[in-house]
Amino acid sequence: MEGLLYNVNNGYIEGIVRGYRNGLLTGNNYNNLTQCETIDDLKLQLGPAYGDFLASLPPNPSTSTLAAKTTEKLISEFRYLRANAVGSLAKFIDYLTYGYMIDNVALLITGTLHERDTRELLERCHPLGWFETMPVLCVATNIEELYNSVLIETPLAPYFKGSLSHQDLDELNIEIIRNTLYKNYLEDFHNFVNTDSDIAGTPTAEVMTEMLEFEADRRAINITLNSFGTDLTKEKRKKLYPSFGRLYPEGSYMLSRADDIEGVRLAVEGVNDYKNYFDQTGLGQGNGAGAGNMSGGAGGDSKSLEDIFLQREMEISKGAFTRQFTYSIVYAWVKLREQETRNITWIAECIAQNQKERINNYISVF
Amino acid sequence: MSGAGNREAVFPTRQSLGLMKLKLKGAQTGHDLLKRKSEALTKRFREITRRIDEAKRKMGRVMQIAAFSLAEVTYAVGGDIGYQVQESAKSARFRVRTKQENVSGVFLPAFESFTTEGNNDFGLTGLGKGGQQVQKCRETYARAVETLVELASLQTAFVILDEVIKVVNRRVNAIEHVIIPRTENTIKYINSELDELDREEFFRLKKVQNKKQRDTAAQDAEIIAKRKAGEQKENDRENETSGGGDILGDDEDADVIF
Repeated sequence: MEGLLYNVNNGYIEGIVRGYRNGLLTGNNYNNLTQCETIDDLKLQLGPAYGDFLASLPPNPSTSTLAAKTTEKLISEFRYLRANAVGSLAKFIDYLTYGYMIDNVALLITGTLHERDTRELLERCHPLGWFETMPVLCVATNIEELYNSVLIETPLAPYFKGSLSHQDLDELNIEIIRNTLYKNYLEDFHNFVNTDSDIAGTPTAEVMTEMLEFEADRRAINITLNSFGTDLTKEKRKKLYPSFGRLYPEGSYMLSRADDIEGVRLAVEGVNDYKNYFDQTGLGQGNGAGAGNMSGGAGGDSKSLEDIFLQREMEISKGAFTRQFTYSIVYAWVKLREQETRNITWIAECIAQNQKERINNYISVF
Repeated sequence: MSGAGNREAVFPTRQSLGLMKLKLKGAQTGHDLLKRKSEALTKRFREITRRIDEAKRKMGRVMQIAAFSLAEVTYAVGGDIGYQVQESAKSARFRVRTKQENVSGVFLPAFESFTTEGNNDFGLTGLGKGGQQVQKCRETYARAVETLVELASLQTAFVILDEVIKVVNRRVNAIEHVIIPRTENTIKYINSELDELDREEFFRLKKVQNKKQRDTAAQDAEIIAKRKAGEQKENDRENETSGGGDILGDDEDADVIF
């Protein structure tokens, strides 16, 4: 049914995104990239995909400028999509940017807390999370002012409301604030795709629910794993778990009581996929290679949990393109592009630092 | 040799000879001691050089790993965490204290690193994703800084020892090539002067003796001459008075005195 009127408003965007998706680097391209000896070679290999964006780079650019340029391409394409989107798709694309906004706001709050000149922080902000009133955040000099007069003007205001007071901004660790916001954001996004009159019941809702649930579970597991050995209490940790996802509610409850990796493994056992991931990494069986990706320099053979999660995310994103008449391809495309940027950065780092043996740790799904 | 003129301005007396001999002995002892010190320092110096070499190689490797772990963080977190880490770090976790080490009287500062426990300012960084990488990266960099601290104390010791060895060697050489030859020269000079004086004295005494002998001889000759003259006179007188008188008579001969 949704196919009948979808193309009236959104057909152009869908066409564009599918075009962009075909521009993503394939496994063959990655193979060529890993053969490069210098960054210049890499630049040359990226030429067909990135063209103009890399043209202005000096010879032998640093990996960070390379990453900045590849992100620039993503941003300019994203902005083009946003400018052409109407109606609920426009709102959907806006939702995509909120995640980046949270990062930016967290950055600015950190700056304000330490009484730095927040103006110079603006250029460090992620361009995708840019919103019109963001420069206004810099006007606030103390945290109360920031909360009362500035934050409520931002699109993120609902995420602050009810869960964070201005005292919290002062006292809580910025990471907890960030994750609280992110949790609220995920819940709101989940709610949006399932209740919006244009989206509910369409393939968009279906695919997006899968993606968001995966994202929520991933965050819950990561937060739990990363909080071991820190002063984050279990009650506080529990508040950071999104209240949906395949782990919710039993798994989340068990996660909130987990003390070690074994506890996490027990908590996720209810969901077969996650159980498999844990079995693949060998976590919780005493010989854990570490939960972090690529086991932090130790270079084990088995993949780490974060690697598997990333791989899974990419596969879900790839799967999204098999559906038609859905907004979720925009989300999937952004995720794929981000991963591509990370892959390029990783390969460039490996080349620059002469660590060729680890160069194949990138994730490619095409 | 360094020339006869290279000696100390002393009077060539037996007393100063004694002083010089003492001085020479002192200089030789000092030379031995300094030489030994210099050798000890050089040994230490070589060891430090070797360890610096090792530490530098190690640093290269460790820094490479550290830089790579930062790349991993960038990959995992997918953004710049530098600012956040900078802002949330409140007190130093990795500290350095100095202590002194005594090598043959030279004080070498040694830096010792230690981490303050329970100071985990950015423990929550990357909570959502990449937290493990951040912690691992921090550990790797802590190890890198440890190597740097080790290298720093070695380098400081290297510089100080270099300086001290130069000074000590200069002293050793000065004693060996200047002070000892000069003292020896002085002793030789004093000895030769004293010998000279001895010879002069001997010669003088000989002269005196000669003169005395000559004088005695002259005196003897005079006495003999005188006596001969006396005897002549007596004989004449005898001959005049008794003229062939009884030799065995009462009149006695005058005693002959030689």
